[in-house]
Amino acid sequence: MNSKSKVPSIPIEGSISWEDWLKGRRYRRELSQLVAPGINRRKTSSSDRRLKKLFNGERGLPFTPTEKL
Amino acid sequence: MDSEKIKSALADITAEKDPTLKSAKLASLVSALWAEQGVELVVVGGSAIEILTEGEYVSGDLDMCHLSVSTLPVRQRQEIMGLLGAKGGPRNWQVAGTYFDLLGPVESFSRTPYRRVQGPYGEFLVLQPEDLLVERVLVSYYPEPHPPALKCARELAIVMLDGVVKTDWSEVLRIANRPEYRNVEQCKALVREVANELKIKSPLDSD
Repeated sequence: MNSKSKVPSIPIEGSISWEDWLKGRRYRRELSQLVAPGINRRKTSSSDRRLKKLFNGERGLPFTPTEKL
Repeated sequence: MDSEKIKSALADITAEKDPTLKSAKLASLVSALWAEQGVELVVVGGSAIEILTEGEYVSGDLDMCHLSVSTLPVRQRQEIMGLLGAKGGPRNWQVAGTYFDLLGPVESFSRTPYRRVQGPYGEFLVLQPEDLLVERVLVSYYPEPHPPALKCARELAIVMLDGVVKTDWSEVLRIANRPEYRNVEQCKALVREVANELKIKSPLDSD
């Protein structure tokens, strides 16, 4: 756990269970949004051609909104 | 892993619409299959950052490296990925509605262990956040300022400072001091800035 909440931490030693990793998703997203709001996916890369072909003109699948994590 | 399990995993990953879950599940499945052949893989780059931060950064491709210097022979790689119905190769494949890129041997300087997630199809490894942070800070400034990399570095810094991603800060300093990076002051400045936003002291500042 991190010091301030019941959110499971990703440890240095050992492993995090899938369930705990899932449980922490929303909290990690909320933290990230504090310092880097919005979608941070790169606009372009050398993989654009293949990505846009597979994802209907986008570079990947849409992100799940924070409230649904 | 028997063919029924592979088929079921593949159906799950193909149907997955969340990009982070899709990457993590695919990393779990691919890691299990390659491990059966004696090769350990690790998630790197944007995919690793996404697994640690949920920072809405990842694209539609999963980047992995192998821990050993050598990989499997090309024929064996194609056979393993063939079990997943993958197209292409021999270093990148379209599989389960996404792309899997095998980038070669991993480049890691951290003495901390790879982070481990017990995925739904087996454990998978993620590159150390200590390495990822120092690298992102470097890319934020060199060869020229790169704001998307800076946002990424900030995302990593905040989850590490919060403690939700446990971190050895002495390793961050040691890596940043290495000749490959030499960006200690920039790392300190970025971590201090994020720490100030959290109203905590930066672990990279001595006083």
